[in-house]
Amino acid sequence: MIHRLDPRSKLVMSIMFATVSIMFLSIIPLLIILASLIPIIIAAKSFRRWLRSMRGLSVLIVFILIINTLISTTENPFSHSLALALRLICIMTSFSVFFLTVHPDELSQAMIQMGIRFEFAFAMSMAMRYVPTLGYEAYAIMDAQRARGVELDKGNLLKRIRNIVPIIVPLIIVSIRRALSIAESMESRGFGATDDRTYLEELVFRKQDWALTILSIGILLIMIYAHLFLAMPQWMLWDLPF
Amino acid sequence: MGLIRFDNFSFKYYGTEKLALNKVSLTIDRGEYVVITGPSGCGKTTLCRAINALIPQFHRGYIGGHVYVNGMDTREHGVSDFASLVGMVFQNPENQLVTLNVEKELAFGPENLGVEPVEIRRRIEEIIDLLDLKSLREKHPHEMSGGEQQRVAMAAALSLKPEILVADEPTSNLDPQSAEKILEIIAYLNKEKGMTVVLVEHRLDLVAKDATRVILMDKGQIVVDGPPREVLVKDICHEIGVGVPKAVEVYRELIERGIRLPGVPLTGQELATLVQEVAE
Ligand SMILES: Nc1ncnc2c1ncn2[C@@H]1O[C@H](COP(=O)(O)OP(=O)(O)O)[C@@H](O)[C@H]1O
Ligand SMILES: [Mg+2]
Repeated sequence: MIHRLDPRSKLVMSIMFATVSIMFLSIIPLLIILASLIPIIIAAKSFRRWLRSMRGLSVLIVFILIINTLISTTENPFSHSLALALRLICIMTSFSVFFLTVHPDELSQAMIQMGIRFEFAFAMSMAMRYVPTLGYEAYAIMDAQRARGVELDKGNLLKRIRNIVPIIVPLIIVSIRRALSIAESMESRGFGATDDRTYLEELVFRKQDWALTILSIGILLIMIYAHLFLAMPQWMLWDLPF
Repeated sequence: MGLIRFDNFSFKYYGTEKLALNKVSLTIDRGEYVVITGPSGCGKTTLCRAINALIPQFHRGYIGGHVYVNGMDTREHGVSDFASLVGMVFQNPENQLVTLNVEKELAFGPENLGVEPVEIRRRIEEIIDLLDLKSLREKHPHEMSGGEQQRVAMAAALSLKPEILVADEPTSNLDPQSAEKILEIIAYLNKEKGMTVVLVEHRLDLVAKDATRVILMDKGQIVVDGPPREVLVKDICHEIGVGVPKAVEVYRELIERGIRLPGVPLTGQELATLVQEVAE
């Protein structure tokens, strides 16, 4: 269901969540935001991948907690750091909803339909396509250099940095050659032939996309209003006493 | 007039010393299946590039003479003018798959030329059927074997509905079984769909039986050009080091021993039939 929404409406929703997260720096409201994001992630069947990306973030979070607790001048430094960390999690999660449910192809199609030139959008999706290829190639070159007796994992830091050269140089050469050959293939298939390029699957903004967009903008406006003109109830400002 | 016509065509890549093609004259008619072979560096790839105007439009260099394809001079038209006339399949399948799935790949060419989505959809279904790509439909290029990738690359070239298929060593990175499958498809396209084929291939034992013509190149020139049964028995094949089919080798060996079979066999089967005839 969420995967089938238009990327553009999902982008509006993500921006809404991220903006609202930035407006608050208290534990309770941020927990509420997170609590409303998680069901969306679960509904999109992306909970496990989200957990994995959060695990990747955990080092940074611990770092923020420790450093901020030590240097913060606020009354309750740990509570303040916890709120900061929560805010980071909320912002990351907001955009996770977008990136975990939008296929790279949809993303470039969305960019094109938002007026970005096809060539640029296509370059981006091609980067995604060839990053793993480049990775394999780097490993192959490393193996080849090892076989020729280059000691890649020995020596001090300076030596190791110098060791990158016999990998990078062949990698660049191979990549240029590959780029030429890719260009030949694309050229042969009429790349850039006409400005009236068609698209097999155009994205359509459906009723549910409008609903999501209007809902998101509505929530955002209410939150901005509340943030500027209303005082937060006391229970929302609750924090840890240290 | 000829569908493809090389008229005294020469080419030297920018920054190199020797001619990659040296005064090549060649006419290929509709429906022919031409196999080009010859030692590495003799100019086969250059010849292929000249057919869809990659030379001289994409690769710059010194040009002499002309190439006409369907009456269009490659000097005067861009590569995209030839896109729906000449389908190109290159050596490395990885570098021909530029999108993230099969449907997108097949759509890429027609989209570039502004073909209506409904028509693109129709072509995709037709070609997926024709090349048996159903199981690959949703796959990312990295999840495919080399042979599967090359089949998709060929499908992507065919989705432009070209009259001519130019395939430059499409099987050289593949295992024998995948190679055979690719070559079967090419033979099918030529026989059943009347497609004109120009194929660069070293494994003549696999293609000689389907080809209508074999061209042997050396040092940027065409050395021999004719029907497979005439070309492959010539001594020059051995001198240049062409991989002549085993059956032809046996035929030649028998002549040396004083036995002349009534015809030139290209496959083991043909050889067996001829030997049987002689024995009876
Ligand atoms: N892109 C290029 N730039 C410069 N020289 C090239 C290029 N491609 C091929 N050549 C040169 O042109 C000659 C013919 O090459 P090619 O057509 O690739 O031969 P083949 O495909 O038969 O191996 C060779 O000497 C080769 O070095
Ligand atoms: Mg070649």
